[in-house]
Amino acid sequence: MSPQDEIFAELQKIPWFRGLQPKHLNQMAEIASLHRARAGEVFFREGDKEDNVYVVLEGRVALDIFVPHRGKVRFYTAEPWEVFGWSSVTPTVHQRTAGAVAVIDSFVVGFDAEKLRQLCEADHDFGYLVMRRLANIVASRLMVTRLQLLDMFANPPEMKND
Amino acid sequence: MTDQQPSIGSTVALAKPELDGLLADLRRGGFRTVGPRARDEGIVYAEIESLADLPRGIQTAQKPASYRMTQTGQNRCFDFIPGSQSWKQFLFPPRTELFTARKESGKWKLDENIEEQPRYAFIGVRACELAAIEIQDRVFMRPDFTDPVYRARRAGLFILAVNCTHPNDTCFCTSMGTGPAHKAGYDLCLTELDEVFLVQVGSELGRSLLAKRTFDLPSAFVQKNAADALESAARSITRTLDTDGLPELLMDSLESGRWAEIGKRCLSCANCTLVCPTCFCWDATDLPDLTGKTARRERVWDSCFNLQYSYMAGGNTRPTIRSRYRQWLTHKLSTWKDQFGVPGCVGCGRCITWCPASIDLTEEIPALRAEVKK
Amino acid sequence: MTTLIDTASHHAGHTDQLITPDWAEIVRITPEADGVTTFWFKFTSPEVQARYRFAPGQFNMLYLPGCGEAAISMSSDPDAPDRLVGHTTRLVGNVTKGIGKLQVGDTVGMRGPFGTCWPMAELEGKDLVIACGGIGLPPLRPAIYHILRSREKYGKVTLLYGARTPKDLLYQNEYETWKQADIDVQVTVDRGDEAWDGRVGVVPMWFYHFRVDPQKTAILTCGPEIMIRFVIYEALARRIPAGRIYVSMERNMKCGQGACGHCQMGPYFVCKDGPVFPFSALEKFFNVEEF
Repeated sequence: MSPQDEIFAELQKIPWFRGLQPKHLNQMAEIASLHRARAGEVFFREGDKEDNVYVVLEGRVALDIFVPHRGKVRFYTAEPWEVFGWSSVTPTVHQRTAGAVAVIDSFVVGFDAEKLRQLCEADHDFGYLVMRRLANIVASRLMVTRLQLLDMFANPPEMKND
Repeated sequence: MTDQQPSIGSTVALAKPELDGLLADLRRGGFRTVGPRARDEGIVYAEIESLADLPRGIQTAQKPASYRMTQTGQNRCFDFIPGSQSWKQFLFPPRTELFTARKESGKWKLDENIEEQPRYAFIGVRACELAAIEIQDRVFMRPDFTDPVYRARRAGLFILAVNCTHPNDTCFCTSMGTGPAHKAGYDLCLTELDEVFLVQVGSELGRSLLAKRTFDLPSAFVQKNAADALESAARSITRTLDTDGLPELLMDSLESGRWAEIGKRCLSCANCTLVCPTCFCWDATDLPDLTGKTARRERVWDSCFNLQYSYMAGGNTRPTIRSRYRQWLTHKLSTWKDQFGVPGCVGCGRCITWCPASIDLTEEIPALRAEVKK
Repeated sequence: MTTLIDTASHHAGHTDQLITPDWAEIVRITPEADGVTTFWFKFTSPEVQARYRFAPGQFNMLYLPGCGEAAISMSSDPDAPDRLVGHTTRLVGNVTKGIGKLQVGDTVGMRGPFGTCWPMAELEGKDLVIACGGIGLPPLRPAIYHILRSREKYGKVTLLYGARTPKDLLYQNEYETWKQADIDVQVTVDRGDEAWDGRVGVVPMWFYHFRVDPQKTAILTCGPEIMIRFVIYEALARRIPAGRIYVSMERNMKCGQGACGHCQMGPYFVCKDGPVFPFSALEKFFNVEEF
């Protein structure tokens, strides 16, 4: 299997990609690259210049932020078929806002974010599909973040008498 | 004077002093006779021994946040409308000792309180009050759980009922279908006229007690006087509560802004729940001694207006007064029916009279209704 | 009103006693996580010990004289041969903190079992998603033990369990046994550290990672009410009928007999009509604030 065939085969496994027209799937394949990462391998660090948006094919990728005195805090893990590094596709964010590291041996596909943006600009129908997908991702991330923010498993405060 | 025997369902005329003998017979029979007494500018329920203990010649006037007694100069015993107390304090005592836990050589033991429950004769139970007792019967004597204290006290209870002839402004029993005249559920039921009591017989015990007294068959004149008095009493009740679709209305109004409005006025003082003859919530508290080796466990009245009422380890379910008032009113007039088959309100008006903020449920329900109609 | 779960066969012994406890002795103490401990009890009266049975999801009232009572679900195997009654509790209230200071051999008062149970018989043949968080796993562990005992009676079984941090995860040494019995154990934490190679996220999100068959899936959920709410949103979005989403509710339980009023939620006394409800019974007012 040629590298391009392999990429094509992997993309077809991703549930969301199954809905794409062959033309669009080809365009995505052209800007894609596959990465195998060992546990502990870093995809990007906070502050890096953005290049790729990724979809996890196998394994688990953690997103983290380094907090002085606390070390790296993991706030999300991306599981198979999940996207990470999505802010690189947005028009305004130009550096990584979190780090990404393979928690276990992982296999991911990256898409050149700049080229993906250009594809979206050139074909607004396709761009709409991509941005709609991104909106879903952002919404679910926000929900997770909110629930984490609530710290719902924290010990309740002691009762105060009125 | 007649040598006829009274029978269940029959009505006789009893000279007023004869009631003293009836009370004495009840006491001889082991009953603690409790009834209305004038005390501290109000009417309370306490032990009474004779007619002389009753609040003679007293009428009452009630309106939101106000209860006033006036002397009529007459000799009648039951012209007032009851005060803040209700009979529930006797069947469901505000404080009941349950048991004492005692630590002996490192292990806890339990001394159960096996005090015998007193046998009460309630003298002067109003129709709305009897309806309230019947509601509490459903609460405390369910098929799947029966409160032993309540059951014992209720089983031994003698009810001498009184029909209301002078309702007050806060009364709305006619809306709730509970009064002002009694229908059933009593041992004996009085209608007071100037000279005599008209007595209806409701039970065998009532009949046998009455049989020992001197009584007359009521004349047509007396009967008409009594009927007129009851009719005029019913007519004099002008306060209303429209119960049509009320449970649904309340459940559809849970998000109404009205609750916040009431919440601003309500002091969450719990008066309404304490004076309510049907409110049944209770708490259990532990009273440990200083050594920590014994702890007395008591049951005490509680109220959904107390902040601790809905406290749990995760926090407070109803931290705001708005939500606590909503709980009280929706329970009373809506979910109570789901739980016990009838609403929890008998129209006695106590919650209106004794609310220091003059919150009046007969005003709040129409307000909610108007909102839903919009 | 919606049909509630029928627990007629699991009623507490006393139906006419006011909160009179039996005494139970602590026979074992298992620390589970920071501030969370399992206490194993045996009634001091052999008759009571022989008679006592409970169903998964039910609770006892534990009484510490001088402190008061607390409602705590059973977390142990209802069919364990030793018949010990296990309670996993967070040592956070007056009573549980007091119990936390006790040692093996000490006694506490115990009343129960109370409330409705997870409808395990009714759930046979169904795919089960057990979605719980934090201290919400203990009330579901008896259900898991029940499933382990008759695994063949249930379809796909998935356990979604969330905790605050990896060290807050309860019963970690049992996950392997559960996995071997073909229970898909999916664990997630709110905050991971570099030593944690598991998942970081929240329980409701895990619905995004597998497909459920709405025709045959039932949800069993317990945990913080906010988590339960989001689990329900996800379950309903996947067209699982409200009547097949079972929720264990927490309210201020005091008497356990539907008598004292404290645990009311709309028409229900949570201690008697719950704690386990089909969501269809709660739907009308579940999202009403402070209700």
